Amino acid sequence: MVEDFATQSGVLRTAQVTWTDQAPVTALRTSLGDTPLQMLALFVTPKADFSAIVAEAAQLYPDTDVVACTTAGEIGAAGYEDGIIVAIGFPRADFASTSLLIDDLANFDPQPSMDLVASERVKLQEKNLDKVNSFAFLLVDGLSLREDSLIAKISPALRDTPLFGASAGDGNDFGKTMVALNGKIAQDAAVLSLVRSRYRLKVFSLDHLVATDMRMVVTDADPERRIVRSINAEPAAREYARIVGKDPEQLDRFTFASHPVAVRIGETHHVRAIQQVNELGELVFFSAIDEGMVLIVAEPKDMASHLRHELDGLGQDMPPANIIGCDCILRRIEAEQTQMTRDVSEIMAQHKVIGFSTYGEQIGPLHVNHTMTGVAFYDHVVGKETPVK
Amino acid sequence: MSLINPSDSLERQNEKLRIIAEALMRRVEQKTENSGLAYQQFERAALLETEVSERTRELERTLNLLQESNARLEIANFETETARANLSEAIETINEGFALFDPDETLVLFNSRFCRDIDDITDFLVKGMHFTDYVELISRSSNLSIPNNQTPAEWAKRRLTRHRHNHVVFNVRLSRNRWIQVSEHRTARGGTVILQTDVTEIMRLERQERDNMRDQQAKTLQATLDHLNQGVCIFDQNLTLVGWNKNMDSLLALPPQQAVHGLKFSEVIELLHVELTFGEGFDLPSLERWAQDTNKRKPVLFELKRNNKEILSVFAQEMPDRGFVMSFTDVTVEREYALALSEMNERLEQGVRDRTTELGIALAEAERANASKSRFVAAASHDLLQPLSAAKLFLSSLATHLTDTTNLSTLQKAETALVGVENIIEALLDISKLDAGKAVFRVQPVRLSAILGPLSDELTPTAQAKGLSLTIVDSQISVLSDPGYLHRIVQNLVGNAVKYTNEGAINVVERRDGESVWIDVHDTGPGIAPEHQKMIFREFERPELSAGEPGLGLGLAIVERACLGLDHKLALTSEPGKGSCFSIQLPVAPTVQIPVEPTKPTPRKNGKVLEGAIVLVVENDEQLGNALAQLLEENGAEVLLCSRTEDAKALLIEIDIAPDFLLLDYQLGTGHSGVQLYQDICVTFGDLPAAIISANRSEELEKTCAGLSLPLLPKPLDKQVLLQQIEKGLRKQPAP
Repeated sequence: MVEDFATQSGVLRTAQVTWTDQAPVTALRTSLGDTPLQMLALFVTPKADFSAIVAEAAQLYPDTDVVACTTAGEIGAAGYEDGIIVAIGFPRADFASTSLLIDDLANFDPQPSMDLVASERVKLQEKNLDKVNSFAFLLVDGLSLREDSLIAKISPALRDTPLFGASAGDGNDFGKTMVALNGKIAQDAAVLSLVRSRYRLKVFSLDHLVATDMRMVVTDADPERRIVRSINAEPAAREYARIVGKDPEQLDRFTFASHPVAVRIGETHHVRAIQQVNELGELVFFSAIDEGMVLIVAEPKDMASHLRHELDGLGQDMPPANIIGCDCILRRIEAEQTQMTRDVSEIMAQHKVIGFSTYGEQIGPLHVNHTMTGVAFYDHVVGKETPVK
Repeated sequence: MSLINPSDSLERQNEKLRIIAEALMRRVEQKTENSGLAYQQFERAALLETEVSERTRELERTLNLLQESNARLEIANFETETARANLSEAIETINEGFALFDPDETLVLFNSRFCRDIDDITDFLVKGMHFTDYVELISRSSNLSIPNNQTPAEWAKRRLTRHRHNHVVFNVRLSRNRWIQVSEHRTARGGTVILQTDVTEIMRLERQERDNMRDQQAKTLQATLDHLNQGVCIFDQNLTLVGWNKNMDSLLALPPQQAVHGLKFSEVIELLHVELTFGEGFDLPSLERWAQDTNKRKPVLFELKRNNKEILSVFAQEMPDRGFVMSFTDVTVEREYALALSEMNERLEQGVRDRTTELGIALAEAERANASKSRFVAAASHDLLQPLSAAKLFLSSLATHLTDTTNLSTLQKAETALVGVENIIEALLDISKLDAGKAVFRVQPVRLSAILGPLSDELTPTAQAKGLSLTIVDSQISVLSDPGYLHRIVQNLVGNAVKYTNEGAINVVERRDGESVWIDVHDTGPGIAPEHQKMIFREFERPELSAGEPGLGLGLAIVERACLGLDHKLALTSEPGKGSCFSIQLPVAPTVQIPVEPTKPTPRKNGKVLEGAIVLVVENDEQLGNALAQLLEENGAEVLLCSRTEDAKALLIEIDIAPDFLLLDYQLGTGHSGVQLYQDICVTFGDLPAAIISANRSEELEKTCAGLSLPLLPKPLDKQVLLQQIEKGLRKQPAP
């Protein structure tokens, strides 16, 4: 049972409606109120008619940048939800933004994009000297297989602007994921929003996994399609099953959620999440892989307590007024599997987290899995008038 | 789980390891055929991210530091600005001209009052100008009033000389009689601060003040002179009269002041000498010579007689300016008084001499009377004790002859009465000695038990007879005191307590108090009212309450005097109806063992202890002599009784027997003493055991006897002691 919900306190304007609503954006607009918005983000359940919603939004918000994407589940006022449309409005008085559509990722030519991002960033900054806090928000087609390259290329152009983002989802179907900007729907594309705000904010990434000493070597792969064919010179799925101690015939998304694999780079590890086993017994990944890559089996810590601890940490000085969270679908699966869905939902609701479940998360120059990335907003105006030590 | 499946065959394992190694090597060599570009980008980004985040952290640290130092700089700038503003305000606020030259002698700062009075140069004063230029500028100013003998250049040179000092203050005169005070100070950094103060008004006031003061002083001087009880006149160095006072007018009947002012000394003398005659040793020419003396004049003092009635004492003294001052004092009355005083003094001295002689005679008489009294008291006591001693001895011998209990009881009462009389006389004797200051205290360590033990024996029967309980502490403490007097003191206190208590108990307790011990005598007697507590210590005085009791009230008088003499503190706490507590404080003796005198068993040989012994008794009191003879004979001795020295010597020569024991009275009439007799007899018969009996308690006698190892038995004699002494002497005597 999902309720329409809206709250207009805090820094952002947020609202949500069920996908069954006849004119969902109209309903959302009613909830969001009349505050002029600089930007509106819509996280749309794949059950809904994405194109209809995008069109309705473009019509209702002609002066507002409307960015949208499909989800693998939503995070609403009550935590994990399903079958709703989440709307997040950024009031024009407090925010400035520029949103860019980057399409045809398959033939991505980095240089023009980098130049464009850099010049837009500088322009935005110079026009909004009173809005000293900034972040970049990326929504990318979750089945484009291009997140790693894209983000590695554009992040240098952002300089010190912290970036977070998410790969759009398609429930558990892995069929079709979409992003949209101002009525234009795109696949194999990404929408990058550069945002500046008067409010203090903090971009974060949460990872609750710890590496074990179980390792394996990718001996044959199709990096282009993120497919690992063989591990330790054995068919990939079977060998993965052997390593994590599972029946090769019983591998499913719950196995992948509870036995994620990661690569170690330097002192840190980064999860390379497994999306599914294909008919050839190969493993399809959510992020870039390569031959000769050493995969480490990671183990999740208690997700709920870890999440509570991390979100409390964000509120150490003052509790955030709003948090936008991009939460990996594997976390939702893990929570479901470990019967923590209710706890995790409650924690997110308490901390005013809204957002959606993703096929992958971006933080800085990295595309990662099995994490939650996001941004926290604090009801504390930071500007030149009031210098803060 | 290991990299290799252990269930595989070894060949398969090898095969797999080879493939793994191959994949790893390809990866290391970055030679993947299949494009792993995306992953490589990811990997590079991740590596970079690590580096970047480290760099960023460093950068943030640096930025923080920069911000901090910027903030500090901002604060410092602000403070500098504030300080500069404050300084400007401050120097503008001060009422003086202010200028600061830096260590390079250039003008840095000055306020609007600086050089305001030298207005023709103010336009030329600029920051950065050199000090010498500044001085030069001033020296040429028309406002400066340069002394006549100086050129502007010289003035400037002198000004620069002053500038060399670290601190200098001087006044500068400006035109129109204006003055500024310039004070110049070197700062710590070598700069120069100049302060200019307008002192025109101060100078003017000062001058006015000085004039006022001079007038005032003159007035004060004249008033002072007029106030003097003498005539005073002052001559200047030219011997001209310049000042005098009103008294002078009346003393010398001078013409009115105005007329005499300016008179020469000789003219004044001329005016005066008609009425005056000089006293002895001085005359008019001498005075004139003194006045005319060109050397330093010594002060002179002489007398003048006026109209042969008044006498004036004149004192003339030179003043620092070579003038002189003369004072005239009318001493007529003083002289008369002095004469009268001198006569009276003579009379008084005679009176004192006469009185002194009279007092001398009276003193001699008093001394004689006092000596007589002492002698009388001693003699009277002695004379009283003699017959008393005799009476006691008679009574004790009578006791041996009586069998009838009634008679014995009567006899007992008579003895008790006699003991009472004896005690009174003893007390009187003690009081007279204590009063005359002749008592001798032999302070020594005394075991309290040696004092308190016998007292218990002595007084318990009396107490029991009255139905009182008497408890005396069995003390282990030794104190410093005179054993005899201490015994007397405690005996009197406890005795009194028993005497005046009708029911209840007497408790004698000891109480340590640091280095001393208190002996408290508690009783449950009637108590003593506060108003009586002083009185009871006076001899012959007793509170009315105890009127029914026997006694002269000498006991406490003795206690008080003895305690005073021994320096023992005596205290009394009492409340009528609740009993009394007399306390004496005794110093505790250092812990040395006091030998316990072995209690000698008193031998009782059935009354015949002196069987066969020949005892010579010389006693000039006939009654006592007879009593002694009777006592000794009853105890088996042969007694040779004589009353005089001569008789004794004659008797011994006549019978030519050496007695076994000599019992000799000390006082044997004029010029004779028992000691002398003892020595005489010893010459004839060799050393014989002997004892001196005497009512004389003098220390001198005790010493004499001790020197001859001669026992001294005090009167009144104690029968037991006497017998023991004789027995002891007989034992020493070798068998004849």
